[in-house]
Amino acid sequence: MDRAQIRKILKSPGKWGQKYSLWVVYFCTGCGIIEIPPVITSRWDAERFGVIPVATPRQANLFLITGYVSLKTLGAIIRTYDQMPDPKYVVGFGSCPINGGMYWDSYNTIKHLDKYIPVDGWISGCMPRPEAIFIAVTHLWTLIDKELANGYKRYKEEYPYYEENQRQVLPHLPKFTGAGET
Amino acid sequence: MQFLSVIVLPLLAFMVAVLFLGLSRKITARIQRRYGPPLYQPVIDVVKLFTQEENISHGPVFDLGVMLALGGSVAIVLFIPVGGMLGLSSSGDLLVVIYLMLLPPLGMALAAGASANPNASIGVSRKLILALAYEVPFLLAILAVMIYGKTTSLMEATQSQQSSVLAWGLFRLPLSALATFLILPAMIGMRPFDMVTAPQEIASGPLVEFGGKYLAIASLQSALHLYIVIALFVNLFLGGGANAGTFLAKVLVVFVAVLLINAVYPRFRMDQGLRFCWKWPGLLALVGLIIAMVSRG
Amino acid sequence: MLVAVILSTAFLGALAVYFAGKLSPRVRNVLAVLVALTVAILTAFLYGHKAQVDYYTIGFLDVTLSLRTNPLAWFFAMAITGIGLCSIIFSLEYMKGKERLDFYYFAMLLVNASMLGIVFSGDLISLYIFWEVMSWSTYLVISYKGGKAAAAGLKYMIMSVVGSCAMLLAIVSLYAHYETIDISRLSTAMQSASAGYALFILLMCAIGFGVKNAIMPLHTWLPDAHSEAVSPFSAVLSGILVRMGVFGLLLIMYGVLTPRMLDKLGAGMLSFSYILCWVAAITIIIPTFTALLQDDSKRLVAWHTVGQGGYMIMGIAFGTTLGIAGGIFHVLNYGISVTLLFLVVGAVEHRTRGQRDLNQLGGLAKRMPLTFFAALCGICGFIGVPLTGSFVSKWLIYKTLIVEGYPFLAFAALIGTWGTILSVYKLLHNIFLGQLPEKYKDVKEVPFSMQLPMIVLSFAILLFGILPGIPLKAIGRIQSSLGLEPLQASLFAMPPEVGELNMVNILAAVAAGCAVAYLIFRLCRKSRRVPQSDTYAAGSYAPADKYQYSANFYERVYQVIEPYVRDRVDAFYYWVVEKSEGLFDGIRKVYTGNLNTYALYIILFLGLLAVLKLALR
Repeated sequence: MDRAQIRKILKSPGKWGQKYSLWVVYFCTGCGIIEIPPVITSRWDAERFGVIPVATPRQANLFLITGYVSLKTLGAIIRTYDQMPDPKYVVGFGSCPINGGMYWDSYNTIKHLDKYIPVDGWISGCMPRPEAIFIAVTHLWTLIDKELANGYKRYKEEYPYYEENQRQVLPHLPKFTGAGET
Repeated sequence: MQFLSVIVLPLLAFMVAVLFLGLSRKITARIQRRYGPPLYQPVIDVVKLFTQEENISHGPVFDLGVMLALGGSVAIVLFIPVGGMLGLSSSGDLLVVIYLMLLPPLGMALAAGASANPNASIGVSRKLILALAYEVPFLLAILAVMIYGKTTSLMEATQSQQSSVLAWGLFRLPLSALATFLILPAMIGMRPFDMVTAPQEIASGPLVEFGGKYLAIASLQSALHLYIVIALFVNLFLGGGANAGTFLAKVLVVFVAVLLINAVYPRFRMDQGLRFCWKWPGLLALVGLIIAMVSRG
Repeated sequence: MLVAVILSTAFLGALAVYFAGKLSPRVRNVLAVLVALTVAILTAFLYGHKAQVDYYTIGFLDVTLSLRTNPLAWFFAMAITGIGLCSIIFSLEYMKGKERLDFYYFAMLLVNASMLGIVFSGDLISLYIFWEVMSWSTYLVISYKGGKAAAAGLKYMIMSVVGSCAMLLAIVSLYAHYETIDISRLSTAMQSASAGYALFILLMCAIGFGVKNAIMPLHTWLPDAHSEAVSPFSAVLSGILVRMGVFGLLLIMYGVLTPRMLDKLGAGMLSFSYILCWVAAITIIIPTFTALLQDDSKRLVAWHTVGQGGYMIMGIAFGTTLGIAGGIFHVLNYGISVTLLFLVVGAVEHRTRGQRDLNQLGGLAKRMPLTFFAALCGICGFIGVPLTGSFVSKWLIYKTLIVEGYPFLAFAALIGTWGTILSVYKLLHNIFLGQLPEKYKDVKEVPFSMQLPMIVLSFAILLFGILPGIPLKAIGRIQSSLGLEPLQASLFAMPPEVGELNMVNILAAVAAGCAVAYLIFRLCRKSRRVPQSDTYAAGSYAPADKYQYSANFYERVYQVIEPYVRDRVDAFYYWVVEKSEGLFDGIRKVYTGNLNTYALYIILFLGLLAVLKLALR
């Protein structure tokens, strides 16, 4: 590290922390999760980027939506996203979250993920290679530096928009019916 | 002079603890034939967790439990002599240290209980059962040290080993030292005894609802606990150290040894862990205690 | 003279409360508190006062019954009146609405008074009289609720009577030998006794006091009795009543027989003291591990009363300065902690309509924060966390066992603490932590009169932890009065020749550590509070009332240790009862209870006599 980098870190240690310590929720959302074990193990070694999987959303700040999103999974994704603490970033992995991908005409999947939770970046492919995840992570670093990765802020500011969309497809979600929220 | 050591000891403990966290990830990575994160990765992690914009709490018991855990660990550090720095060792002997070592798990158990999650409760129950498992050989081993030296003072037990390398507990009480080394991973929470915070089984156990500053404090606490346990082992069986440098070198060697075991072994089931700790280390420690009793008088 | 005032206030006060109850409940309640308070204040003010009062002479036996005071008596009297006062104040709200309350308050105060009588008695017959009064008044209060409580009370009564008979045998034998029952005169007289006779007396008394203190294998009455009694009385039972056994043992072992005599009893390793230490060691280990398998909150605490009593017996039997000081100090500390925990369990019972099943409770810390804090202090008192009084008393016991070179006894004591830790965490977790069930979400904190004793006791356990010198000075005086070497402890530290223990420095270290943690905590962003339903459930929503891990909390340990902690002694006693019932059935065939048969027996016997007379002419 040279002096310029150290000065940057000291000016904004928060950003330095967010960038080089992205912890992924190990929630296997869809078929794309098969690409994640090779990424986090020895061959492609995501840990050198600071990316490690964690078991619970409370400890995570990166959510990889890997693969198609069925309606049932969307409920779990929304709940998990709500439980993550700010700042949090979402990356859509594969074509299905972008525009429905292979399941573009299915009755049971959702086609545009960013109507329901804010997405900071997309990785296209069916499935993308592990190297694509690393490129996405480095792109996310640039976005965090420039403060453009503000999906979580958008979620808070435009919450009625997201809530309306969520309510439309998942009216029985307990956070709308109020069941069990003691 | 001793007043200064009260300030220096915790700072030293923090630095060593954070270094060890980074070292553990790097060495584990290299053993697994990959590059691994930089050595200062734990610093980045802790900075990220402390500067997080939102922290989620489950109530005052949750907050106070986490603070008690870290506070207790910092307090224990003051009672363990490092080389020439004695800290508060003249106010508390080995019995005080092992009973102060109850405060951090109590704090974590309170916080985990307050998080109202069964995964956390399972984690705490596993932690307590594991503690029962390793306490049997551990108590037998330290009783051997105390009986042999006819003292319960940690200062005296350390200083009595300073005369030569052969005076180390490792050579005078080899079976007790071996028993303690076998259960060191259990005391620290490293494989094969990491079932307390098993991410794959019980979603991080007690840490399931910890995020942001809570997770940062909990990580610092577990790193400090790692330092405390290994420092105790070095003081009791490896002759302490004439100065901080030799002491820390010994701590490093023991840590790397435990780390090598951690990198290679899978995880015990709870009942396997219980039976293992009571069988071999327990037997070794018992025989070591009998030998210490006999050779003492 | 003043000692008699205390005792008469206590006894007459009990009677007055019963009659006041006929007038009005409020008067009775106020009077009960006043009596308990007066006795406590009198004890506090007269503490240390030396007195010897002869109060009755039994002419045909030519013995004088007397009362006397000594430091040991004052120490126990203070504990008795303190714990009694706390439980009476707690009973005011707890027992409201229950029936036969006049009888309840009368019996509580009678138990209090009789315990005071025991500690102040100057001769063995007074001791026996007050002991019996205490035993049957305890029986009355235990079986107050009826049903299972009556059965538990009966079990207690039978075992207590067996113990009292053993004690009576010893007293009568002493009177027959030495023509006196005065304790001070007996101690000089017994100097010349043979080792065998001293051992006989000691064994008989140990059985009597051992039943009361629940030493294994005489402990089986305790879990039933303490869990079925009402909570304020369970507090008194566990806190101080069972320790009358400790008082008795101290009196006999060091008051009547001196340490020199104790050394003579036995050969080498097999001395009475050493065997008693091992019995105490087993009493520590097995009950504390049985406790962690219990699902009834009161039974869990009751098993600890058995287990921690082992620490006291071990300290006292071991006989060194530190050991005896540790044992006596533990009586006080454990008394405070267990009173606290029984009051906590009583408070929870009060608000949840009698729920004692640990698998049905949870999360009550949010609704009953003060009770939770009191429970935390009580638990730390059980375990012996540093900064509580129990830590100092246990430290004294461990230290003496290690320094004198008895590592296996020390190991038993140390591992007992771990059994305690596991079981009391289960108690705390299953009642106060975890998810709050739907049906208890409107539970309120207990009223002030129930909070007050809990606050005072929590404060006491912490005070004695940080400044152990306060009770330890009194204990030093007890040791001097018994002719032993007193423990020299300053207000908050031990002298260097005893060991390294400086409670204020430990407090400073813990406080500094917590201050650092608090500072780090506050420097970060403020936290957002989430409700208990917003917890990790793998992306779904936590099912209400189904998301608590309470049952089988220690399943793994249970699998490994269950065969060893099963209560075989209890099973053995019930087997004896079964077999005896066969014998009694046989006797019933002869003693039929039928007048006709008895008339027949008389006629047959007279006929036999007549035949013999004729035959032998």
